[in-house]
Parts: sequence; structure tokens; C-alpha cells
Amino acid sequence: MAQFPGRSPTSVAMRRIQAELNEWLLHPPEGCRLESFEPLLNWVILVQGPENSPAPGLPRLYDGELFRLAINFGDHYPLEPPEVLFVPPSPVHPHIYSNGHICLDILYDGRNGGWSPALTVNKIALSLRSMLASNTNKARPAGDMDYCQRTRGRSPKQTNWEFDDDKV
Amino acid sequence: MTFDVEIVRWHAVASWTWNAGDDVCGICRMPFDGCPPDGKYPGDDSPVVWGVCGHAFHLQCIQKWLQSQAQTDQRCPFCRRAWEFKAAAPSS
Repeated sequence: MAQFPGRSPTSVAMRRIQAELNEWLLHPPEGCRLESFEPLLNWVILVQGPENSPAPGLPRLYDGELFRLAINFGDHYPLEPPEVLFVPPSPVHPHIYSNGHICLDILYDGRNGGWSPALTVNKIALSLRSMLASNTNKARPAGDMDYCQRTRGRSPKQTNWEFDDDKV
Repeated sequence: MTFDVEIVRWHAVASWTWNAGDDVCGICRMPFDGCPPDGKYPGDDSPVVWGVCGHAFHLQCIQKWLQSQAQTDQRCPFCRRAWEFKAAAPSS
């Protein structure tokens, strides 16, 4: 497709992304704004830090912060998950690395992955926001620096994730 | 008083819809009454199928998803229960 140099998205992918864009524009998820969808295969979403605290009496960890989320659709979307990562500076969270990679099973397919073609960018954005809203420990994952060095220039989809921590 | 009426021309219009409970296919997000992105005609050429879990998809769409998954791990995209085709569409 001349529109996307070096890429050949399927017609299924193109029409599905277009349908999701239409749905998003009609019903955007709370606290999120689509900053850019040009080219159509690469979206940038502005995510507001949730203003509420995880429980009464606990601090509001991300109130007033603003993050950028990059969504890069593959040629075979939605059979494969889109690449989803925060544009640094990423939120400080035990499941988010400083390079923006996110440890969340629904973002990945394969052995441990939880991706489903019934998920949409809208639902992904909601999941990430609730991941921030429920956090009580504003810290980076263990081995953050090491991970960022090892994965420099690589997509988070190439990481062999382990999703064993349901507590955070 | 009665009239004798002779029908010269008769033009019937019918409407149909898939009884799928949802408006759009959860995989391609196209209306069930339309066709999936790689289908040409709605209706019998773009059939809607159900899993035993009750979730419906275009046949083309669910087949592509199942083919992309391991043989041993075929699940419904909505509820993640093991996917099994329901024998026939439910009638109401």
C-alpha cells in the first residue's frame, strides 16, 4: 500500500482500525485523548494520571501527570496484538519499565500472552489506566536499568514476559 | 360493493438479520448484517457461527483466529472458554 511505505496491512486490519477509530471518536475512554492517528497504523494517546486513590486514605500517585501511549498496529491486526508502549517518560509503576515497555499479559500473544482479537485499543487504554489507579507502590520494576539496556531498540513484543505477579 | 382487482406488477421487499445478539462481529468489528472485510456479499456468503459458549462471529473471522492459535489452545476471543462450534444457529 503506497500509503504505508514498506508495509502491507491486510484489508481486515485496515477496516478494523478504521472501525475502532470511529468508535473511539464517538465514545473515548475516560481520561484518554487521541493525540494523533496519522498514519492510521500509528496512534498516540494522551493518558491522564487517574485522579482517584486506590483506597480511602492512600495517596493519589499519578494525579496531575500526563503520559503518552504509542499504539503501533501490525499488518495482521487483530490476529496479533498491537505494539503498545509508553513514550518515555513513562509512569513510575512496578510493571512499567523506564523505556515504556509494559508488563501486562493482554498486550502479548504466544506462550503466556492474554491477547484476544475481541480486545480493542479502547479496552487497552482502560486497562492501563486502571493499572495505574490501583497501584500503591510508585516504584520501577526490579532490574529496570538492566532490562532497558538489554532491550534497547527492540519491541516489547520480543520480550519473553512472565506474568506471575497478580498482586500489583 | 366489490372491486375486481387484477395485480399487474408486484414488488416484494423483505428484510433479514442474523440473530446474533450483538451488532458487530467482535473480531472484524463489522456489522453481522454486512460482510467481513474480505467477504463480498452479506448473508450466506458471510455466515455467522456460534460457539457452544454462545458467542458469535463471522465464520471467516473465527476461522482465521483459530488457525493462528495452537491446535491445543483454541479459545473464544470473548470468554476464553475452549472453542467448539455450535451445531446450528439458535432459533427464536
